[in-house]
Formats: sequence, C-alpha cells, structure tokens
Amino acid sequence: MNDFERVAAVNDIPPGGRLSILVDDTPSLLIRIQDEFFAVEDVCSHDGQPLTNGTVENCAITCPRHGARFDLRTGKPLCMPAIEPISTFEVQVRNGDVFVRPRS
Amino acid sequence: MSTAVTARTTSFDAESFEQFLSTRNEPTWVTDQRRMAFESYRELLAIELDPEEWKRVDIRAFRAEKFGISTTSKPATSFGTLLADRAEFAGVVSHIDGACTRTTLDPKWAAKGVLFGNLSDLVRDHGDVLKPYLMTHAVKADADRFAAWHGAFWTGGTVLYVPRNVQVAEPLYSLIGLSADGATDFSHTLIILEEGASATLLEETASASATASGLHVGAVELLVASRANLRYVQLQNWNDKVWHFAHQAGRVQNDASLQWTVGALGAKLAHIHQDVHLDGKGAAAEVNGVTFATEKQLISYYTQQTHHAPNTRSDLLYKDVVRDKARCIWRGMIKVDPGAQKTDGYQRNDSLLMSETCRADAIPGLEIEADDVRCTHGATCGRVDEEQLFYCMCRGMSRGEAMHMIVEGFFQRVYDRIPVEIVRETLGQAVERKLGIGGE
Repeated sequence: MNDFERVAAVNDIPPGGRLSILVDDTPSLLIRIQDEFFAVEDVCSHDGQPLTNGTVENCAITCPRHGARFDLRTGKPLCMPAIEPISTFEVQVRNGDVFVRPRS
Repeated sequence: MSTAVTARTTSFDAESFEQFLSTRNEPTWVTDQRRMAFESYRELLAIELDPEEWKRVDIRAFRAEKFGISTTSKPATSFGTLLADRAEFAGVVSHIDGACTRTTLDPKWAAKGVLFGNLSDLVRDHGDVLKPYLMTHAVKADADRFAAWHGAFWTGGTVLYVPRNVQVAEPLYSLIGLSADGATDFSHTLIILEEGASATLLEETASASATASGLHVGAVELLVASRANLRYVQLQNWNDKVWHFAHQAGRVQNDASLQWTVGALGAKLAHIHQDVHLDGKGAAAEVNGVTFATEKQLISYYTQQTHHAPNTRSDLLYKDVVRDKARCIWRGMIKVDPGAQKTDGYQRNDSLLMSETCRADAIPGLEIEADDVRCTHGATCGRVDEEQLFYCMCRGMSRGEAMHMIVEGFFQRVYDRIPVEIVRETLGQAVERKLGIGGE
C-alpha cells in the first residue's frame, strides 16, 4: 500500500483555495472547503484535459470547458457530458500539514 | 475563483548553460548557434506551448529539474537492444547518456567520402560540410521550447553524410542509450544525402535498466537531395520511465524519395513533432508508424506532410495498439501550397483498443491551397472484435493467443510497407514480447 505523502501545510491554502499537486505522478488538485480538504485527479474524464480552474460549489467541481461536474468526495460524475468518474485520494490533516495517498 | 499555482525551477539555467559550453570545445559558429537557441529557449519557456499541438499531451508531471546533463557517468556494458546483432552493418555509432561510445564505418565507404560518426566530432573536423545543414533547414531552434532546449544543449548524435551518386548498399546502425538514473540524452541525428545518393539508417533507442528514469530531448534532420533515396527507421524502445520529446523533420528535393518508419514501444510519455517537406518536383515520402502503448504510457505524434512543389507524393500510415490505461494521440495534417498542383497526399491512422480504460485520439486534417490535387485522409478506432476472438477460440486457441493473432494481423499492413526485413521481424518480435507483459 502507498504511504501518505505530505503535499502542503494547512496554511498554504486559504478556505476556498486550491493547489496543484502530484499524487503518484498524477496531476491532482487539493481543494479546501472551510476546514475540510479534498484531493481529486485534475483531469476531466470527458475530454482528458485539466479541471484546474473549474468552479467549486456544493462540494463539486465543474469542468471549465464543457460543464461536466464531479463530486469531490467520491469523484462521481454528476452531470453530462461526463459519464466516468475521476479518481479521488485519501487526505489526512496532521499537525498543520496535509497528507495525501491513492486509495487502495 | 482562485487559480492554482505550480512552482517551476530548472537546472538548465544560464549558469549551467555556460558551464556546459565550457566543456564543449566547439567552433565559434556552433557556440553562436547554441547561444541563440538558449535565448529562444528562455523566451519560449515563458510562453504557453501551442494548444493545437499540446492540449491533449499532459506534461504537468514532468520536472526538468530532476534531470541534468551527465559528464561523469560510466556507460553500461550491455543493452538489451532489438537490432544491434541482427545484421552486418556498414557502420555503427552508439551514444550512451549523451556521450559517444563507439563509431565504426567500413573503410570502403569512408574511401568514397561517406561520413558516419558523432556530431560533436564532425562539427570540428567537417564543419564546412555540416554548417549549411545543422538546424538551418529542417528542425529550427525557434520552433518551440523543446526545439530550442535541444538547440542549446545537444550532446552529440549520429551524422551520416553520403556524397553525390554514392549508394551505400548495406544498412548503417545507430544506438541511443540511457543507463544512469536521471540521465539525459539530447542527441541530434543528421542525415545528408547529396544528389543521387542512397542509404539506409536504422536507429534504436534503448534503456539499460527497466527502472532508471531518463529524459530525451532529441532532433532528427533528414536532408534528401535530388534523385537521392533515403530509408530511415527509428525504433523507440525506452523503458517506461523515460520522457521523450523530439522534433523530427525531413526535406525531400526533386525526384528524391524518403521512406521513414517509426516504431514507438517505450517511454513514459513521448511526444514527437514529425514534419515531412516535399520541396522539389516529383519528390515522394512514405511514412510508416507502429505504436504499442500499455500501462500508463502516453505516446503522441503530431505529423505534418507539406507539399511545396508540384507532382509530389506523400503517404502516411500509422497503426496504434493501446492497452491498460495507456493513451495514444495522433494529430496529422496535410498541407498543400498554392503552386503544388498534382499533389497526391494520403494519411491514415488506425487504432485498436484492448481495454476499457485506454484511450486513442486521432485528428486528421487537410489544408489545401492548390486546386488540382488528390488528398485523402481517414482514421479508424475500435475494440478487438469479440466475435473474432470467439472464432479463434473455437479452433483451440487460448484467449491470449487469439488476441495476439488479431494484434499481429492489425499491424501486418504497416509491416508490409517497411522496406527492411530485419526491421519487420524485429518489430513483430518486440510487439509479441510486449503483448506478453501483463498478459491479456
């Protein structure tokens, strides 16, 4: 099983902010909503391109190109044109640092 | 909306560049060319890559700072090469981790004026021959950041020069190897065929170990003068930890012909910008591609066939097999200049998908400015037909054997176009081996 890897300090990301990270060489996004952190693959399952600057609302990210929306907790697609999920990662916050690892 | 930020640094900065230059001992014209390329590199690094070419190629995980040009690494003694022992070659040039380790050429060809060796040596000894061609006609350093990066830091590479009306009967062989972890290779392949000359060069890239990461930022220039005939093969067979970026271009003059075959089996991520220019009346080019991507590999080709003169012919066929979570991308364009009447241009890409999670993108295109041409293009993409599998299995084959036979059959049409028998055999065997990895 992969180990948790430190990707940021809690203070690096203000509430509502986000950071581009690599998890196991996969471009990913670490998103903070209030005091909770979510890590998802930064690639839309519809067109294979980045979700990086997509709007985040109600714990879901919207693809900036075609409007596909994904649940940040599960990666599930919430509307067309996406029909496949995106990967999500396990996140832990310890002593002011954020750690991420791929789900086993 | 907030914007995510990624920190970027590079070990290929001005200081490392000056240090690199001080180790080279090159003629002034080469150093000047490198300095101009380095300036372009710094400028181009600051601007976005052309989205037409790059939007499907995700290089966010690429970290240039993990790699550096090696000055001390010891070459590995053995490479699991595909081609090296398969034939008697008229000459051999090998590069490992960017340094030339071997050059040979049959004296009978050397006596006829053929040059075959390492670019770093030949710019010193035969600068007058190379200067008019090196990064002036085919690959230009200001094309994009990778071309400029290569132009500034090229480490060596294979040069083949064949004088007028000399026909080199046996094939020549070039090996580009990576051995140390984090090693880089910026090799430059330059082939110059003068009027009426002919030659065959087989080039192969290989990794000494399956786990060492590596970086190749390469360039290939093929300059084929009137009535000359060049056959060039490049088999890319790195391990799956290597990043491969390359600009490759051929220029074909009057009544000359170029047969160009690329095989892509390795690399973590490979992006090749491949240009063929039909410069003279009656020029012809045939481009063959065999790609097999598995696991998390991404192999991408951006090809252009540009017809500048009348009565020119180009014919491109790429076949891709994709499995696991791999991706293949092919973006192809045929361009026809206003004066290039009676052009005959063709391009085709076929993709075979072997898993639910792989992906192939094929985007053919035409830009035609002449009004009397024949240009056709097409792309197909499909899964392995379950009925075909069932048919084979009814006749006693296992599912794996059946899959194997279907993949072989899929590639057969492009194998049939490859003019060198050992390349056909080698590719077939390499595909067979790769099919075995991870099973069906």
